Amino acid sequence: MQYGMIIDLERCVGCHACTIACRAEWEVPVPYQRNWVKRLGPTMTDDGMASTYYPGLCNHCDKPPCVDECPADTVEMTFTDYKSGKTKTMEVAATWKDPFDGSVQVDKERCLGCGACADACPYGARYVNPDLADDDSEGKVDKCTYCKPRVEAGLIPACVQTCITDARIFGDLSDPNSEVSKYVKKGAKGLEVKGGHLGPNSRYFGNKKDMGLLFADYTPEMADMGSVKRRAMMASMVKPAMKKAKDIGLLGLAGAMLVKGLSDNEDSK
Amino acid sequence: MAFNLTRRKFLQTASLAAAAVPLSKVVSASTGVTKAPLDAKGTNGDKTVVGGICEMCFWRCQLVGKVRDGRLMKLEGNPKSIDNGTAICARGNAGVKLLYDVDRLKYPMKNVGKRGEPKWKRISWKEALDECGSKLKSTVDKYGAQGICVFPHGSSAKYPMHYFERAVGTHNVSEASFFQCRGIRDTAYVATIGKAPGEKIDMPNTKVLFFIGDHLGENVHVSHIKAYIQGLQNGAKLIVADPRFSASAAKADIWVQIKPGTDTAYILAIMNYLVKNNKYDKKFVEEHTDGFEEFSAAISEWSLEKAAKECDIPAEQIKEVAEMLAANAPNVAIHPGRHVSWYGNDFQRQRALACLTGILGAYYVKGGWVPSKGPKVGGVSWAKEDHGHKYNLNFDHHEDEKVHPFNPPGTPTELIRDCAISGKPYPIKSCVVWGQNPMQTIPGQEKMKDLFRAMDFVMCVDVMPTDVTMWADILLPEASYLERYDYIKKGTQWDLSKEHQQYISARIPFIPAMFERKDQIYITNEIAKRMGHEAKIPVKTIEEMVDKSLATANLSIEKLKAEDGIHIQPGKDPYGIPEDFEVLLYNEDIEDAGHPGAPTYKPVEQPPKGFARLLYGRAPVHTFNRSQNNVWLKNAMPDNPVWLNDQVAANLGLIDGDVVGFVNSEGVESRTTTTVKVTPGIRKDCVYMYHGYGSANPLLTIGVGAGVDDQSLITKLAVDPETGCNGMRNNFVKLIKDGKVLDIPA
Amino acid sequence: MPSPDTSQDIATLYRFLAQCMHYPDSDWMNEDFLNVFYNLLGTLGGIEEGVEIRKSINNAEDYLEDLQVEYTRLFINGVPHVVAPPYGSVYMDKSLQGTFAGNTLAFYREKGFAMDQNADLPDHLIHELEFLSLLAEENDSAGEKEFLKKLFRPWYTQFHARVTKEAHHPYFRVVVMLIDFFTKEEDEDGFQPNEA
Ligand code: SF4
Ligand code: SF4
Ligand code: SF4
Repeated sequence: MQYGMIIDLERCVGCHACTIACRAEWEVPVPYQRNWVKRLGPTMTDDGMASTYYPGLCNHCDKPPCVDECPADTVEMTFTDYKSGKTKTMEVAATWKDPFDGSVQVDKERCLGCGACADACPYGARYVNPDLADDDSEGKVDKCTYCKPRVEAGLIPACVQTCITDARIFGDLSDPNSEVSKYVKKGAKGLEVKGGHLGPNSRYFGNKKDMGLLFADYTPEMADMGSVKRRAMMASMVKPAMKKAKDIGLLGLAGAMLVKGLSDNEDSK
Repeated sequence: MAFNLTRRKFLQTASLAAAAVPLSKVVSASTGVTKAPLDAKGTNGDKTVVGGICEMCFWRCQLVGKVRDGRLMKLEGNPKSIDNGTAICARGNAGVKLLYDVDRLKYPMKNVGKRGEPKWKRISWKEALDECGSKLKSTVDKYGAQGICVFPHGSSAKYPMHYFERAVGTHNVSEASFFQCRGIRDTAYVATIGKAPGEKIDMPNTKVLFFIGDHLGENVHVSHIKAYIQGLQNGAKLIVADPRFSASAAKADIWVQIKPGTDTAYILAIMNYLVKNNKYDKKFVEEHTDGFEEFSAAISEWSLEKAAKECDIPAEQIKEVAEMLAANAPNVAIHPGRHVSWYGNDFQRQRALACLTGILGAYYVKGGWVPSKGPKVGGVSWAKEDHGHKYNLNFDHHEDEKVHPFNPPGTPTELIRDCAISGKPYPIKSCVVWGQNPMQTIPGQEKMKDLFRAMDFVMCVDVMPTDVTMWADILLPEASYLERYDYIKKGTQWDLSKEHQQYISARIPFIPAMFERKDQIYITNEIAKRMGHEAKIPVKTIEEMVDKSLATANLSIEKLKAEDGIHIQPGKDPYGIPEDFEVLLYNEDIEDAGHPGAPTYKPVEQPPKGFARLLYGRAPVHTFNRSQNNVWLKNAMPDNPVWLNDQVAANLGLIDGDVVGFVNSEGVESRTTTTVKVTPGIRKDCVYMYHGYGSANPLLTIGVGAGVDDQSLITKLAVDPETGCNGMRNNFVKLIKDGKVLDIPA
Repeated sequence: MPSPDTSQDIATLYRFLAQCMHYPDSDWMNEDFLNVFYNLLGTLGGIEEGVEIRKSINNAEDYLEDLQVEYTRLFINGVPHVVAPPYGSVYMDKSLQGTFAGNTLAFYREKGFAMDQNADLPDHLIHELEFLSLLAEENDSAGEKEFLKKLFRPWYTQFHARVTKEAHHPYFRVVVMLIDFFTKEEDEDGFQPNEA
């Protein structure tokens, strides 16, 4: 199974209902976001004057570069397919791609808040929420979950439910008869990175000029993995030190100093 | 450190013990936190509460609320709704943040400082009501009922408005939605087809959608948008006339980049073409219209060429549109618009739209203008009383007729303002503002201030502090739409081709009113008692009002709750023209009143050299003051960039994102700045921005100063002669960059 | 662990601080109250503060109205804006009844308390102080500490700063200073490691 979402630009009116519903559903604090709507144009394109929208969210990529970058210690985790009850055990860090539904998820308990995954995502689909900082982290990463808890309770994602034009369609891309697969057959496409193969599963459908405008304006480039890796490495190095600081009760001061040292380090490279 | 003891020292020494005895004497006995029973309540998953009706805009979608521990977490569309379904728009979703907006009014307050420069003090309801009651009563005693003017807005203002109009007896009531928004549309259609048009076009089932200035998508009302998109999905062609490449233009088959103010000429030319080329619906015209002769004669001057020149668009394109309409008639949807007070020549344009619908035969047919057949529910309010015309400002006593004959109910704002400021023909000395923000919705902010300065007493009732509440002597906090009963919403399924159904729903609160907020029935009744109208009070509580109304449809609040907040019953087929339906292509009464009886184009003032016309419109995330301070909506669209034609921008050396202010042709400068959006999608002779930004009220902690307040630049008012409504798009601006005023090239 | 007597006194102290934050009303804001208030300030060595307040009260035409106008402006609705609404969520979530208010209520529950019928929102300063006094009464100093650290200080410091900066009347400046003083963590020497 691979969950995916279609956004039909012929229907979308750029109303932002989806972004606000998501905020309410998951208590996403301003100014962060799990999804977004950008207005494109009006601009002259080869196919005439065009203006459309970029309603974006995590693509739950086939090969998510974000997952690879997580420096948290891996643990063994057993996944259960909520439909069949089948299980599978894997070694995962604090973020992973679900072996059953293909969604990309985060374990906030174990997240270090280093933001390496957020840096690795070429779509800007993740953010670090500093309000959730605790003794072990500088905050916690948050992102679109394809509303996994809702979906498993038999509901549809909050943004899909509230979309005023039914422009958002959610379903299983590996099922050829699903609504989303039909859209793919009609030509729905993901915003694949330049020269890469991430396999984005949130996909867009629209007329030629609108799709042209969207892809011209928002085809992303791969992040500079070198710097992402450095940051992840540093975060994992700092981790034991933070533990120690906590143990001897020095957290307030020590934490601040360590963070400072980290960013200095990064600047000098 | 201010104290010379440390906390620890203090707590450890005898000082604490010594201090504690007297301390305990002066604290009150009870706390707000009590011991909970051992058994936890056990709210597993959030509770779903039904019966809410949105009021972030007037469309009023039906809601359910998700409540956790007494906290409203989220609003959703009511799954039982056959109107909006589970969908609600951005504003609807963000209603939670209006409910919990920290700047919202919480307690009655009295201004103990100067009017307009308030020093607020929280007071009790009793004190507040006593003050309102006695002040208003003394105005009536001294100057008569006409000494009170009222500016109401929204569903909660109906009951108090009726009180002041009917029981107290003042004509001086001005509803913003009528005078500044749709009043012209409604009266123009009444003068043509005998009824207000609403937005009742059968978009899902039409073949052509024709919009003049309607920018659906930027202007969002859920089931209206659903119908629009369904129409497009079903293959309807879309024609959009707009100086700007609007959200709708972006989905259009034909974009008519019309010169602002010339729309009527455009419609006349289309109609003239249809008539001249025998492409109109002859059968319909014969059976259901009146005055075709006079009408066709009056519009005959409007050749394609003449209109092309006037409207600055190709004649070929006018013809293309006319042909498209003719080829698909009668299944064409001519949108009547909604906010149509633009240029002061608007009544005639709206008449023209109604006539165009007529000669295409597009009334009561599939895809045309079709009023759905909704359920009947009676209302309950103050009994009507006749107060004569003696003090009606909209009545010319010499001629024994109305000054603005086709004005909507109430009195035009201008007339009330002039009277209040000059004291002629009689004094107006008290002002009641209820849910309206006339500082932003009515043009001419300085004049509004003069009105307030001329008052003996000003009271405001609102949910939020707005620009106008600063002028109140007494400011009363109203329960919001999520905290009170009131409105009864009824209607039908939005796609008329689907099974015919009707629904009835009533507003039921999701959570009890917070702080000391009260509903409109309580406030009005308490004032009425103090003004000596106790005997006339029609209902004691808001629940009683809702129940009495629902009883007329054999329903009650309890029954509605049991039906998940919405009652659904079989509906009726809305198609088919009523026998007596008539379209007055030429209206003699209008002619008799001294205005053109056939739709007529009146050219509007053009921008002086160096200026561009200021156009404004809706942002999908905002509706007036109710959404300005909303942290979620604000975050979604933080400011209102000004659209500037790319060639003009290049000429002025401006690029995307440059920060600019404005000065209008009367020398008024904007208080704040905004950024430039450079685009080929707007004409060179105008600039455009979203309405509703840049509030002057520093009380709105989120909204203040964000973007530019278009209204502050609208200092010149065109008055539509037939209706007395204000035209707001005859204001012209230059941009200011780094203190330098830039001339807009011609 | 403090002795039951001390705990009781601390509880009284919190209750008194809560009282100070009520809307000024002749029911309680009277000579008696003010004398106790000055007395407490005196015990702490805050003579100057006491004198300043007494001055502005004695010099006022209607001191109660002054305090009411100031309270309204600072904590209810004011010009140029409501300065410092006394709710934690406003600082942590930018609105009332945000996630933070939910967490506060959950903490009360965990400790076996609930909101009274007529109470304000759970994260109102008064209720938080009342809650602290109830914890002190139960001699739950660990709970007190945890609450202060997680749910009180994070927003109170911001609130305190705003009131200190914007208050025109010394009474409120001193009250928030008192509350700050009694809720701040410190080590043996009065040094506060968590102060930024
Ligand atoms: S969109 Fe970004 S966060 Fe989502 S799976 Fe792809 S790389 Fe990861
Ligand atoms: S809710 Fe639907 S129509 Fe509105 S912006 Fe989101 S995707 Fe587009
Ligand atoms: S369209 Fe939006 S704001 Fe208007 S009633 Fe519906 S949900 Fe509310």
